Amino acid sequence: MAVAPALLLFDGIDIPGLRTLEVYEGRGGYESLRKALAQEPQEVLATLEASEIRGRGGAGFAMGKKISFLPKGAIERYLVCNADESEPGTFKDRELLEKNPHMLIEGIVIASYAAGASRSFIYIRGEYVEPALALEQAIAEARAAGYIGEHILGSGHSLSLVLHRGAGAYICGEETALLDSLEGKRGNPRLKPPFPANQGLYQGPTLINNVETLATVPSIVRLGGEEYARIGVANSTGTKLVSVSGHVQRPGNYEVELGIPSRELIYDLAGGPPEGRKVKCWFPGGSSSPVLTGDDLDVPYDFDSMAKAGSMLGSGAVIVVDDATPILDVALKVAKFYRHESCGKCTPCREGTNWTVKMLERIETGEATPMDLEIMASVQEHIIGNCLCVLGDAMAMPIGSMIAKFRDEFEDHIERARAARGTA
Amino acid sequence: MSAREEGAPASQIESRTRAARAAAWLTRVPRFEHGSRVPGWDEAVDLEKDPALIPDPEQVEVPEGLRREIEARMRDYPDRRSAALPALRAAQELHGWCSPEALEQVACVMRVTPGYLESVATFYDMLEVHPVPAHDVYVCTNISCSLRGADDLYETLRAAAGDDVNVRAFECLGACDIAPMASVDGTYIGPLSTADVPVLLDDLRAGREVLADRHLSRRPVADPRGRESSGEGHLGGGS
Amino acid sequence: MPRPEQRMISFTIDGREVTAPENSMLVDAAKYGDVEIPVFCYEPKLGSPVGACRMCLVEIEGIPKLQTGCSTAVKDGMVVYTQTERVKTAQRSVVEFLLINHPLDCPVCDKGGECPLQDITFGWGSGISRFVEPKRHFVKPLELSPLVAIDRERCILCYRCVRFSQEVSEDYQLVLLERGTHSYVSTFDGHPYVAPFAGNIVELCPVGALTSRPYRFRARPWDIEDAGSVCTLCPSQCNVTLTVRDERALRVLARDNPEVDDGWLCDKGRFGYQSFHVDERVTQPLVRDGGQLRPVPWERALEQAAATLKRAGAATAALAGSGTTNEEGLLLGRLMREGLGSPHLDSRRAGSLPLELQRALGDPALQATTSDIEFADVALVLDLEPVDDAPILDLRLRKGARRRGLKIAIASPKASTLEQSAALEVRYEPGRGAVFAAALAAALGGDTRAQELARAAGCDGGGLERLAGLLRGDEGGEQPEVVLLWGERLTAGAQGAAGARALLAIAEALKMSATPGAGLLEVPLTSNGRGLREAGVLPNAGPGLGEPPLAGGRDAGAIAAGLAGGELGCLYLLRTDPLEDFADQRELWERALHGAGGVIAHSSFLTEGIREHADVVFPAEVYAEKEGTIVHPDGRLQRLRPAIARPRGVDAEWHVLSGLALRLGLDLDVLTAAMASRALFEAVPFYGGLTLEEIGGRGVRWQQREAASAFPAGDPGSPADLPAQVLADGSPNGDGDSGGAVGYRSLWDAPEVRHSPAFEFLAAERELA
Ligand SMILES: Cc1cc2nc3c(=O)[nH]c(=O)nc-3n(C[C@H](O)[C@H](O)[C@H](O)COP(=O)(O)O)c2cc1C
Ligand code: SF4
Ligand code: FES
Repeated sequence: MAVAPALLLFDGIDIPGLRTLEVYEGRGGYESLRKALAQEPQEVLATLEASEIRGRGGAGFAMGKKISFLPKGAIERYLVCNADESEPGTFKDRELLEKNPHMLIEGIVIASYAAGASRSFIYIRGEYVEPALALEQAIAEARAAGYIGEHILGSGHSLSLVLHRGAGAYICGEETALLDSLEGKRGNPRLKPPFPANQGLYQGPTLINNVETLATVPSIVRLGGEEYARIGVANSTGTKLVSVSGHVQRPGNYEVELGIPSRELIYDLAGGPPEGRKVKCWFPGGSSSPVLTGDDLDVPYDFDSMAKAGSMLGSGAVIVVDDATPILDVALKVAKFYRHESCGKCTPCREGTNWTVKMLERIETGEATPMDLEIMASVQEHIIGNCLCVLGDAMAMPIGSMIAKFRDEFEDHIERARAARGTA
Repeated sequence: MSAREEGAPASQIESRTRAARAAAWLTRVPRFEHGSRVPGWDEAVDLEKDPALIPDPEQVEVPEGLRREIEARMRDYPDRRSAALPALRAAQELHGWCSPEALEQVACVMRVTPGYLESVATFYDMLEVHPVPAHDVYVCTNISCSLRGADDLYETLRAAAGDDVNVRAFECLGACDIAPMASVDGTYIGPLSTADVPVLLDDLRAGREVLADRHLSRRPVADPRGRESSGEGHLGGGS
Repeated sequence: MPRPEQRMISFTIDGREVTAPENSMLVDAAKYGDVEIPVFCYEPKLGSPVGACRMCLVEIEGIPKLQTGCSTAVKDGMVVYTQTERVKTAQRSVVEFLLINHPLDCPVCDKGGECPLQDITFGWGSGISRFVEPKRHFVKPLELSPLVAIDRERCILCYRCVRFSQEVSEDYQLVLLERGTHSYVSTFDGHPYVAPFAGNIVELCPVGALTSRPYRFRARPWDIEDAGSVCTLCPSQCNVTLTVRDERALRVLARDNPEVDDGWLCDKGRFGYQSFHVDERVTQPLVRDGGQLRPVPWERALEQAAATLKRAGAATAALAGSGTTNEEGLLLGRLMREGLGSPHLDSRRAGSLPLELQRALGDPALQATTSDIEFADVALVLDLEPVDDAPILDLRLRKGARRRGLKIAIASPKASTLEQSAALEVRYEPGRGAVFAAALAAALGGDTRAQELARAAGCDGGGLERLAGLLRGDEGGEQPEVVLLWGERLTAGAQGAAGARALLAIAEALKMSATPGAGLLEVPLTSNGRGLREAGVLPNAGPGLGEPPLAGGRDAGAIAAGLAGGELGCLYLLRTDPLEDFADQRELWERALHGAGGVIAHSSFLTEGIREHADVVFPAEVYAEKEGTIVHPDGRLQRLRPAIARPRGVDAEWHVLSGLALRLGLDLDVLTAAMASRALFEAVPFYGGLTLEEIGGRGVRWQQREAASAFPAGDPGSPADLPAQVLADGSPNGDGDSGGAVGYRSLWDAPEVRHSPAFEFLAAERELA
């Protein structure tokens, strides 16, 4: 097992015109939908369950299981595609949305069939203008071709699809905040339970999945669930799009088979840090994941191995920081981001992110003592697990990991900044 | 003397002085202190005003195009309130920003209070609640771009932009593959360096396509196999 | 919708086995075991928990993360810990987080001493602060409205106030602006937050961020005493606690009663107390002398009143108005009937209804309770604007619609503020409520004349059919539980009886008496309308809606005509001014007052009619000084208890009435307020055996007591001939002088509002209106 045996998501991604229905269909597009509609919804669901595909949006929850949680019966069910993609370092969905929107639409229709949903929405972040245009055209084409609408391809399944554009708020990627935002409110996360599967959009049962998760569905249906599950490793099946950025020579999106060594991803594919530099630390799953160091480069890139290494696969965004960068700068960037994006609803996140930034700033300006490092570490502990959603944790975990792993450097910085301030 | 000058390896993340940071802070919250009719957090209410209820259609004139757009968007959803973001975006396009008048017009069509809409508008970064120049340049200054020099780029752009461009530091725009980058009126452009700033602004002011060779939409995927696999697809066929 | 049943379960908290209602939230369930879990954002009155403040974190066995006790429903066998080191650390850290931006200006804060933030910091905080950075600063305090001040530095962003505005009163005026640490509570573009219920946010705020401007810096918690009573400024009769310092009412707070007010107050009730202590209040007896009202000793006023009454004798008429207790009503009846031999007394604004109909409408089996509204399937609001007629019902209707799937249908001659919450709205012409009700009855009964009646009412026939369909449950197939809220004005004027018969026909068609949770709920036009009728202040009924002791009584309209025409001599006004209360028939009442040979009034203020026409004015008590009982529109007897002393010179109305009676040679045999109550409980058969203790602080619905069986049965008549009658009459609810239609009056149109300095800002609006 090395790089994915076959590309599922990026195959032919740069073919001119792939985003049009004509080219997409020419390459066998919407065949999976036909295949799915010829089966019972339960069979499609069984296929998805057998594929063992885990959500690609961050939490890594098994998609099939999520569908099976939806209450049955004659009620309106919703499907929402999370295209908010705002986790720093993540830009994989963008490539799919802009270049192969029909694959996503096909995935949505199949998933809605398995879930018994009759209304669907794509929540795309407001900053993605060009991807939104590509999607809009693709939706119009799909609708005209009868892939969306009443009695799709003559089956009993009907589905409406509305593209909903956000307006700039990271928190709206969190599934319940997304629902509030989609309902026209401020994007505040909701208390869970009830989970969206039970009470989501407009209080109805709602399936929420990431773009990549849904875009994989046609491939799963094509290959069959068991076949798909053979790709990757146990508990992390399939291929995964990984966005590699930061201090690497070839930043960009790569489709890899889950379980490859991280080194391969960072060095072989993305070219590693610039000449003469070493990896100081890296975020394996977006800026919310605890940092790993150069010592962790051989950890296999899959859900469980990352968890075992004390971090997480998250959204599949590797951010590499080289040894020329002070850890304090990284910590400040990260903390400021979460302070800016905290919705403000719950106390530990709202106040904790703010306080953390203020403490880091004092370190930078030489107004801190080593005791502040203690306080900062304890503030992170007080945030973790105590918030309404995990945005607070998303700052506290990486900051906590930086303090733990680079404590000497922080202390060093405190002393030198203080000395500099004293002499200035 | 900063820590870096002391011998720590030089980073591309700009270590700024306290004053510079304070200035950046102020620029990030100008909505609190501009002189418009939107009250800042330090302003009391005007007791002479009437309470802000759902506007009376007799009293509020709504441009026809805006009304039609909002009404169409409201039909997209089971609950009309879902149209708040599209409606506010439409109003912003028309008015340049979500001015009190704009909010009242949207409120009037949507049958909600303008307060509800202001609360929504102030939550989202892309909705402007103070007057801004016509062109938007969002510079990503989040981690990946910052590691590649985005802070410098932002400062340079801001300094050069003047009054006709709305230059804003934005959180990760989802294009770290072209870091450092900017979204120019919605078009993603990068990688950029400070040297590109004059051209970028010239193109923008002249109404030309900005840095046409640097558009993300024209860039192939990084994955080499994605680039190669352009032959017949294996999407279909049920194999 | 049947109300959810409560089952008790047992769970373990801090090692102790506790029994609590299943599915109650842990913070509530914990109280059953005397365990307190601190909360800030949790307030069940505001709806489902939001879990924002994170103060209530607890440990639950089997769940790795700490859970919010405010949003976790207790289950049988659950094992909960609130005292572990993990929980304590979390609690201390939340307090620390909340305080890092809090100004800690307790010494100058109005909330000090009654502040949940102080209490929780003391009880669960760590006692030290590790935050050395500058705090968030706002200019403070600022005006949020003429009534409320806001101090944003103290705000802990618990969302209670904005949730109230958005999810309870649904005015959507108070909102949160910006995001994250920049968030703050505000309104649109500098508009003040003025709304009928805005004052509730002061009571909801758990810190000193929102304070009452009229109360600011008037007292510290240790200077004040609490006194519970009931507000009588409108028929909602909300339960209140008065904050009293040195015999002055300084504040009015809600005294939560889920069966009455659900814990809310309207701003008239909350701030109207200021009128108790203004110079304009009448605090000594006045007698007209040379065209001027002049203060006189009580003795002289009583003598003159007695002389006037004696002169007029049986040609005396009496009206009782808002704020009159049942006991006073009973005594007034006896004074009139036994002391003067006059049958002319009334408490209804809408004119009299045949006794049979009055009784039929009061049938205990037909009465809905206030809380029935929220659990019903459909609430029909008929000829009523809740926010003006009984404001607190407006909130109850919204709650039902928002949280329990209640469908609201509105039938009214004007736009309603409930419009946005309504499932259906039907309009008819002003003054045609009774005709509309007849049309609805016909539609429900399948009578072919329904459409003809609809046209006569000036309403759209399709709308009528849709309404009938909704009430019948055409969609679901089953007869829904319907609560019909109607305004007294529906039974006004010449068609008034038809309106009443139509209501009864509707009730019959919807099987109300057989459906638990369904029923009629009348909102009278005076705050104790129901009580006064039951006490016999009617021209055609004695106490307990019994046969009238004297026949031939005139109702209010006929009294006015009689006075104007010279057939009646004297007018006795117990807490009412006809020029205010019968504003729709002002011209008639002006003539009546001119024609009256003598006008004797009990009043707190010299409103126009009193000022210009009264010959004797007795200073009246305000409700906070009163002792006695009143009856809520749904039949709940409630007690008024004196919270403050009467100003020197003011006497209790029951005492004045019995003093006057003595002077007329009638011994009413009441020496104390309690004796008056006892007399009432004896005089009204269906109050039989009631005591003040039984009524207590929460009140008791007489329909739920055994004595209710003594309620006299009425006769609704046959619905069959109703359409013909209504169509033949053709007049709106009364044409002409003697019984005009009763229009709508703003919540704010009341002497208590005009005389409260806090409401001065409304004066400009009144002038415009
Ligand atoms: C703060 C925060 C931000 C998130 N942002 C995104 C996002 O931008 N895109 C996304 O797909 N999921 C995001 N998620 C994860 C979603 O909540 C949710 O788990 C996911 O959309 C489910 O889809 P999946 O099961 O297909 O991964 C975010 C979660 C959190 C807590
Ligand atoms: S003003 Fe008071 S009630 Fe409103 S959010 Fe702040 S603390 Fe809570
Ligand atoms: S009381 Fe539970 S989170 Fe606020």
